Amino acid sequence: MPRRTTRGQAAAAASARRPLFAATIALAMALGGQAGAQQACEVKLGALGPMSGPAAQWGLAMLGAAELAAAEANARNFTVAGRRCTVSVVSYDTRYTAEGAAAGINNLASQGVRFVIGPVGSPEVTGAKPVATRHNLLMFANSYAKNAIGPQWPLVFHLGPGPSEWAAPIVLMAQQQFGMRSVVVVAPNDQGGTDIASVDAEVYRSLGITATEEYYQRGTTNFAPIVTRILSSRPDAVDTASSPPGDSGLIVRQLRQAGFTGPIGHLGGPGTEEIIRVAGGIDVLKNFYWYEVVPTEDPQVRAIADEYKRLLGRDAPENTNMWLWVVGARMTLRAMETAGTTTDTRKVAEALRAMPVDDPNVGRGSWAGQRFFGINQELSLPFGAGLIVDGQNRGVRRIEVGQ
Amino acid sequence: MHEFWSAAIIGVSLGAQYALLALGFTLIFGILGVINFAHGGFYALGGYVAYSAVSGLGLPYPLAVLAAVLVTAALGYVYELFVIERFVDDHLATMMLTLGLYLMISTGLLAVFGPQSPEFSFPVKGSYSIGALRIAKENLVVLAVCGCAIGAIYWLIYRTDLGRALRALADDRQVATTQGMRPRLLFPLAFGLATGLAGLTGALVTPILALSPSAGDPVLVTSFLTVILGGLGSIAGATIAALIVGFIEAYASVYLGGSAGALVLFIMVLVILLARPTGLFGRQIRGA
Repeated sequence: MPRRTTRGQAAAAASARRPLFAATIALAMALGGQAGAQQACEVKLGALGPMSGPAAQWGLAMLGAAELAAAEANARNFTVAGRRCTVSVVSYDTRYTAEGAAAGINNLASQGVRFVIGPVGSPEVTGAKPVATRHNLLMFANSYAKNAIGPQWPLVFHLGPGPSEWAAPIVLMAQQQFGMRSVVVVAPNDQGGTDIASVDAEVYRSLGITATEEYYQRGTTNFAPIVTRILSSRPDAVDTASSPPGDSGLIVRQLRQAGFTGPIGHLGGPGTEEIIRVAGGIDVLKNFYWYEVVPTEDPQVRAIADEYKRLLGRDAPENTNMWLWVVGARMTLRAMETAGTTTDTRKVAEALRAMPVDDPNVGRGSWAGQRFFGINQELSLPFGAGLIVDGQNRGVRRIEVGQ
Repeated sequence: MHEFWSAAIIGVSLGAQYALLALGFTLIFGILGVINFAHGGFYALGGYVAYSAVSGLGLPYPLAVLAAVLVTAALGYVYELFVIERFVDDHLATMMLTLGLYLMISTGLLAVFGPQSPEFSFPVKGSYSIGALRIAKENLVVLAVCGCAIGAIYWLIYRTDLGRALRALADDRQVATTQGMRPRLLFPLAFGLATGLAGLTGALVTPILALSPSAGDPVLVTSFLTVILGGLGSIAGATIAALIVGFIEAYASVYLGGSAGALVLFIMVLVILLARPTGLFGRQIRGA
């Protein structure tokens, strides 16, 4: 038989249940909100660069750095505004093209990425910047382009300076070792080549070395005609500048086959291991000088590779560019913690600008770029100069900025 | 003066490689009426098969080249038999099918071998010197093999019953079929022959240049350019056009530089096509 209650009893019972009901709703909302907040606090770090083709080494180094920084952050309970966040990496292969980078930025933005590590080369950075600005994305890019960063792109940070800042001491070292008086600087005929080769050539000229520039179509696979042209001017040395490691290795191999015995330089992005492999061995390289983005023989710097293996369970990417990318990726994540946001890129940019440059592995540096780009958003850290003499690797010398 | 002779040698060498690639490309178009966008993929695949045979199985390089030819030819044969054959008269469908195959091959190579160039070098090293002129031995070997392969293709096409049957199908498929030629048997053979040629070129050239999953990208462009210049479907046209392209590329790059070299090549091709829209040896209407 159903239990009957008067209207007064029902109202009293409802009145007694109301606080309980309200508390339940409040608790559910709080728990739901907390769960929602935890779900929302997933930071997607974009990794944008070439992951196939001759420049793949550079892109894979950048991707490896983003993965390491993400793994480190997750291991140390990455916390933003009191909330523990997880960091994941979303990558996109630009194939070293401007259009690939622009498409990549759109793709990453559509996946909820707000912070991008990369891109690597000048054409990519030129293609990515306007699209990233439209999406309000923060980009930590690398490129030796003359307009890599600028006041009109306040959310674009620069990983390392171009050859105007580091080429002179390396050319001096090579000049002392090999005594060259003329050089041909060879690079691709797009912004990724011309912006670097022209500056390299200026540096050679400023040190009394006759320099001529030679450009090739990106995508060239047979360099025999270019090599014949280079050798017709009988240079003492050849510098492959910012030619990707795969192209540089091929140029070296064909130069040696054509009988060139002089020193060969690579004053652009590093990739000596790949160059040696493609050229056919260190004996083929014979006399070689190159730029390293960090002092690669410093044990503290090399420890990054051990950390990578420990956290990610596989060998670190071969290209030493990774060790500098790690600094940029770590700083971007730390700036999020300082700014207390994983979405407001302007606040994170402010925090990044105010942050001292002091990496546990690579060491102390500073923010630079005001003089060259008109904005102080470029990392300036010690770098390295490598030398191979008569097929013997003489190692990488540490050079402080301004030395 | 030695630059002139160096450019001549480079031109012949490039021309022979392009001819081998263009012959395969034009064979498929001439006989099947299909533009094979996967041609570059078979070139890269040939390189990787040879590399795997040498480094993985320890085979001597000549056997590795043979393996590359057989694998690429077999893949081409099977793909034509089971996929292309169903849509052989639908140009858009075959274009998409071959483009799709190219993407599958290059992505597959990327997944299996990774994006970086493996260490794969030509077994013959050193060079001959004639005054200031240096000729790499490996280029001479490749030139000789390319020459033999081109000769073999000509012999097959013009001196054998199989070649006569293929030419008959290219000339007029309906009449050839009524005369007893069987397209279902001959089309896969022609496709396999062409992809085997691309595989052969890849196995020969990638140890000298570079091997990567995207190695076929420029190959497709060059093959296309060459066969259009020679006249789509013309075997003699493809061979002569390949040599023209090789010489223009070599001389323009040596005397005008890498950037201007590429520009001159395309301008020359444009001028020739304006004068002869069907290419050097092309016909107005395909019979097939």
